[in-house]
Amino acid sequence: MSGAPVRTGGGEPAVGSRPRPGHYRRPWWRGTAAVALAFLLPSLVALTLLRLLPGATALWGSLHHTSLLSGESFVGLGNYLDLFANADFRGAVAVTLLFTLVVNPLQVGISVALAVLYTRRRMAGAKVWRALVILPIATPPAVSAVVWSVIFRPEGGLANSLLAVAGLPPQGFLTSPDQALASIIVLLSWIGVGYWMLFLIAGINDIPAELYEAAELDGASPARTFLSVTLPMLRRPLSFVLVAATVSNLLVFAPVQILTGGGPEGSTNLLMYDIYSRAYALGDMGRAQAEVVVLVVITLVIVAVQFRMLRSED
Amino acid sequence: MRKRQRVLASVAGAASLALIAACSPGSGDGGGDGTVQFLGPEDPAFFEPLIEAFEASHEGYTVEYTQVPFDQYNSTVQQRLSAGDESIDVYAVDQPRVPWMAAQGLLEDLSDLEERAREVTTEGQYSTGVHQDKLWALPVWNSTQLMFVNQDALAAADVEGPGTDPAGRWTWEQTVEAAEAAQESGTEWGLLLEQTDFYYQLQPLMESRGGGSGVVGEDMLDQDVANAEWVEAMEWYGATFEDGLSPRGVGTFETSPLFSAGDVAFFVGGPWDLGEFADSDVDWTVAPMPYFEGGEEVTPSGSWSWGVNPASQAKDAARLFLEYAALDPEGNLASTERQTIIPANTEAAEEYLPRMDALAGDRSAGAADLISYEVANTGVVRPVTVGYAQFEEVMNTAFADIRNGSDAASRLEQAGEQLEDAWAPLR
Repeated sequence: MSGAPVRTGGGEPAVGSRPRPGHYRRPWWRGTAAVALAFLLPSLVALTLLRLLPGATALWGSLHHTSLLSGESFVGLGNYLDLFANADFRGAVAVTLLFTLVVNPLQVGISVALAVLYTRRRMAGAKVWRALVILPIATPPAVSAVVWSVIFRPEGGLANSLLAVAGLPPQGFLTSPDQALASIIVLLSWIGVGYWMLFLIAGINDIPAELYEAAELDGASPARTFLSVTLPMLRRPLSFVLVAATVSNLLVFAPVQILTGGGPEGSTNLLMYDIYSRAYALGDMGRAQAEVVVLVVITLVIVAVQFRMLRSED
Repeated sequence: MRKRQRVLASVAGAASLALIAACSPGSGDGGGDGTVQFLGPEDPAFFEPLIEAFEASHEGYTVEYTQVPFDQYNSTVQQRLSAGDESIDVYAVDQPRVPWMAAQGLLEDLSDLEERAREVTTEGQYSTGVHQDKLWALPVWNSTQLMFVNQDALAAADVEGPGTDPAGRWTWEQTVEAAEAAQESGTEWGLLLEQTDFYYQLQPLMESRGGGSGVVGEDMLDQDVANAEWVEAMEWYGATFEDGLSPRGVGTFETSPLFSAGDVAFFVGGPWDLGEFADSDVDWTVAPMPYFEGGEEVTPSGSWSWGVNPASQAKDAARLFLEYAALDPEGNLASTERQTIIPANTEAAEEYLPRMDALAGDRSAGAADLISYEVANTGVVRPVTVGYAQFEEVMNTAFADIRNGSDAASRLEQAGEQLEDAWAPLR
């Protein structure tokens, strides 16, 4: 054993060793822990400045009320109570939950189906079809919204023209309280499906070919192969896609702002748009920040449930 | 190896410090070097003559204009100014929003300009910049609304349209009847209001019925948007879409191309459309904005004022530019050179208005007199209240819903409740 003290990562002598008199003691900032900290620092700073600090600010702001007459005052949970007593907010929560329940399974289901279809060995022109599905990802959300506003236009829009060819009556789409949310879901899926499909194609390509060969030898039908080989082996990328799609869809804003402004009759008033409208159109910062906190809590709960469901399947 | 690790670690540490520094306040590019950062919703080309004239007459000063799209303008300004954005020096503010912006401390006090401001404009225009006895913004333009009549469409329907004389002003009932006749004769749409969901253009419908502005009370923070006259006016408005007289899928400011293309018989728009429609092949004329039979003859008024950001680092230069654009007739006139809008400066307006008659040849004949008449006699101001921003947001959303088929009475009741809620924090 060496006579030199054994050093830990932080540059401190290990327990049980005694520094000899006059022995050089390396300062902490020259040890490996300091180096590690320096490497971590950009991420920690970014995390603090861009995530934790705004989060803390929103939480703090949500406990305060600003009045033009009386200035800022601490109101505790007053903003939250006001929010839950507000019919528009309750409507926004209901619309957001309905939207989440429909859009995520829809996007993930279609993405899985297309990923399986486009990775089939005998699929003719798979690469071309795949490129066409991926193409909308490259379109900025604002441009997509404008394109779809023309498609959904009740008078002379492409969608109603196609319905007319099929002998069906024209629909209101974005101008109808019953169809506006579904129209937004179609627009978002047009973009989202291609994006999520990319991750799933990568996952399917990672599944060992031997598993499919074995299934084929066993005489498994395509449906059985999908259920017993593809789906279980795709669980990890699928978990990622489900969680990422959920978070992404909870943060939808631009199409709502550009196309419907939350209407008609609040039918597309998703929480993100309601927060924006409350903060910057109505100037009610306290309640808007309380709504931000509520949205974060809803997101965390949904994601936690998804993780739990996926873990129990594990 | 260890040395390289330390160098990399130092770089990472330095990057973190740079990140912190970049996020720290005070990094705005506003400065006291004579450059004025100016924000507004108009096309940058509109302000080229004004900026050139200002820079030529004020050596050492430059103006940089940034456009924010109209639909997002008010919320963007609110967002940036309330965050203490120093990179805006002068900005456009919709006149009824002045009290709201001033009450939040987002406008610089301009009360020392009171005397000069009163001298160069009408009392009505001057008052739009006043809140709690202080002057916060200077009016730059004024507005009214006209009805553009598609003579080709009326000729096909064998209908004689209204003239420019306010004494022969049509009622909405007459207009709808003629519009339906035009549609039966092949014109796609009978009637279209340019700003389909905006209070500015819809206010005269309720006012003409006698329903008031919708805002009442001593502190102008009580709503009255569901009275019988409001409901009647909005039922009429909703029916124009329900009956197919107007298209539902065309939003505010997407409407004028339909008239230019000859697809609309009657179009209610602003003086700016005189220039817009000058290039159209349609044979059109102007007429007074209609009113309801037995009701009052009213038209919208007001436009943009400009104010100075209290967080500006170039306030002196900003005030110089603002004074030139609003108080100096030459500057105010230059602000209207590339767009058709009424100058708020009285002297500039006198020189400018006659030009409107010639904007589109014979088609725009009589426009100047009609505009002068409407501004002087029928214009109603939008409610002056610190709650206007909330009022406009709530009402515009309600108007959009009614246009899309919501029941007017219940939707207006709901809007009233939303207003009570939105105004609660202001009290």
